[in-house]
Amino acid sequence: MITINNLKVKYGDEVALNIKEPLTIEKGERIGIIGSNGAGKSTLVKAILGIINYDGVINSDIKPEEMSVHLQENNYVDTMKIKYVIEGILNTKISKNKRLLELINFFDFNDCLNKKYPGLSGGQKQRLTIILVLMQDSPLVFFDEVTSGLDFETRQQLMLKINQWYKNKNTTILIVSHYYEELEQIAKKILILDKGNIVDFGYKEELFKKYCGESVIVVDNTEKNKEITERFNKLIAPKHLIALSCKDSEEQLLITKVLIENNINFKRSNNDIEIMSINAKASFRLRNGEENKDEYKAC
Amino acid sequence: MNTKLVNFSLIKYELRNISGNIFTIIFGVFFPILMSSLLSPVFIKDVPEEYKSIALTSCFISFSCIIPLATVFIGYSAVFSQELQNNIPIRIKLFGYTEKTFLFSKISANLIFVTISFFIYSIVNYFVLDIKTPTLFSGSILIISLYILTIILFILAHGIAIILKKFAPTYAITMVLYFAIMILSGMFGVTPDSFPKVLQSIAYTFPTTYICNDFIDFWNGSSYNFAPFIQSTLFFLSVSLLVLFYGVYKNRRSKQ
Repeated sequence: MITINNLKVKYGDEVALNIKEPLTIEKGERIGIIGSNGAGKSTLVKAILGIINYDGVINSDIKPEEMSVHLQENNYVDTMKIKYVIEGILNTKISKNKRLLELINFFDFNDCLNKKYPGLSGGQKQRLTIILVLMQDSPLVFFDEVTSGLDFETRQQLMLKINQWYKNKNTTILIVSHYYEELEQIAKKILILDKGNIVDFGYKEELFKKYCGESVIVVDNTEKNKEITERFNKLIAPKHLIALSCKDSEEQLLITKVLIENNINFKRSNNDIEIMSINAKASFRLRNGEENKDEYKAC
Repeated sequence: MNTKLVNFSLIKYELRNISGNIFTIIFGVFFPILMSSLLSPVFIKDVPEEYKSIALTSCFISFSCIIPLATVFIGYSAVFSQELQNNIPIRIKLFGYTEKTFLFSKISANLIFVTISFFIYSIVNYFVLDIKTPTLFSGSILIISLYILTIILFILAHGIAIILKKFAPTYAITMVLYFAIMILSGMFGVTPDSFPKVLQSIAYTFPTTYICNDFIDFWNGSSYNFAPFIQSTLFFLSVSLLVLFYGVYKNRRSKQ
């Protein structure tokens, strides 16, 4: 569906994106794009949409006009009620469009129709764009930080509804998010970016095995836990956690046995995208000869 | 994908967008009526009685130019530059609208708004002022000229907005040009012939100068040489297109 090759995007002198090896996105794939701030996630989306200048090649089966996108920032005019904004953009009448009515009900958006855009809350603003994007029914959809700035409950609700909507559809979805649980819900493949470079791209399970092993066991980072887990293989983890890598079920059993014997709470996962991406990035930086920080030693 | 050039929903949306801006309503609808019905009698107070009706008709024709100037040049540039500042046009285009559909809807909505405003302006002035009834030809020429002026001013306003991309500088430039056009065209009571030579030359590059000063000459069916008016219209159009093309060039998108 989309092939990217030698893609370079610059903002002034700063290289925001530098994809050297070919990157192919197939029809129907659900891809999660992760990376820290400034990793080039939104820049990649904008380049595919053709709304920024770039060097290199982006070959696509579909035109940018056929793609739909929920940008990080979406604004609408404040000169009319939301219902007229929806009708104008979607070229339809709300009362006569069964599918649109269904979607408005689905997202509990009825009460917002007579308001103007500045009168909507953050979550309502996000839902407006989601309704408009879903109504487009495009073969390729981008969700760029669709839930940023929303509370936990609203985030969960939105993602659940987006998930339900696309459940039996062959739509290609690229979702950029800082919230790993959202990617776990939707994405089958993960694209990890770091400072404009591709760290890795592949199926979630394959990347997890590559960087974390069979499974990961996570405990709180306390002195006692450090001591108890000293002999096990550790992965890089957020400062408040200790992540233990299990290369097979035997090792997993051994670790859990020790933790239970010592009455330590733990979390076991075979799809922890956060731990996986942290370790993938560290490994990538190490391969590229970047400063050998302590955190990289675990790789 | 919304590639159809004529999209009635989007035209309706743009019409709501224009009429939702209070400044466009004030300057595009009420201001021309105020100028013509309240100031015309003041302007013509020294005119001999037998020429008063002609002078009032001349004021009516002159102030009709304020409609496209205020609606499009001031109103549209203000609304559109604010939209650009908030990335609204790119958001709308990302819903699958092509640049052509987007611009066609905006220009159509502005033409519809100018038509409604001119209709109200004519009705009010018909009852308030002693205006001479035009011939079918002269009336049509005025209406066509106002439409052409609307289109040219739209091109210029759009061009300025996409070059500057921000409300404040766009509004400042269009406001200065708006008053310059009004003053040089003779809408404030000073005819262009009274200006120094340089200002006269500038004044006659605006089609509004001919509308304000010459259209009264053929209002009742007399003959008129349209060549200078057409030349100034073409010149104004060319300048506006140059500004627009520069704006488009400055904002060009990369190839896919």
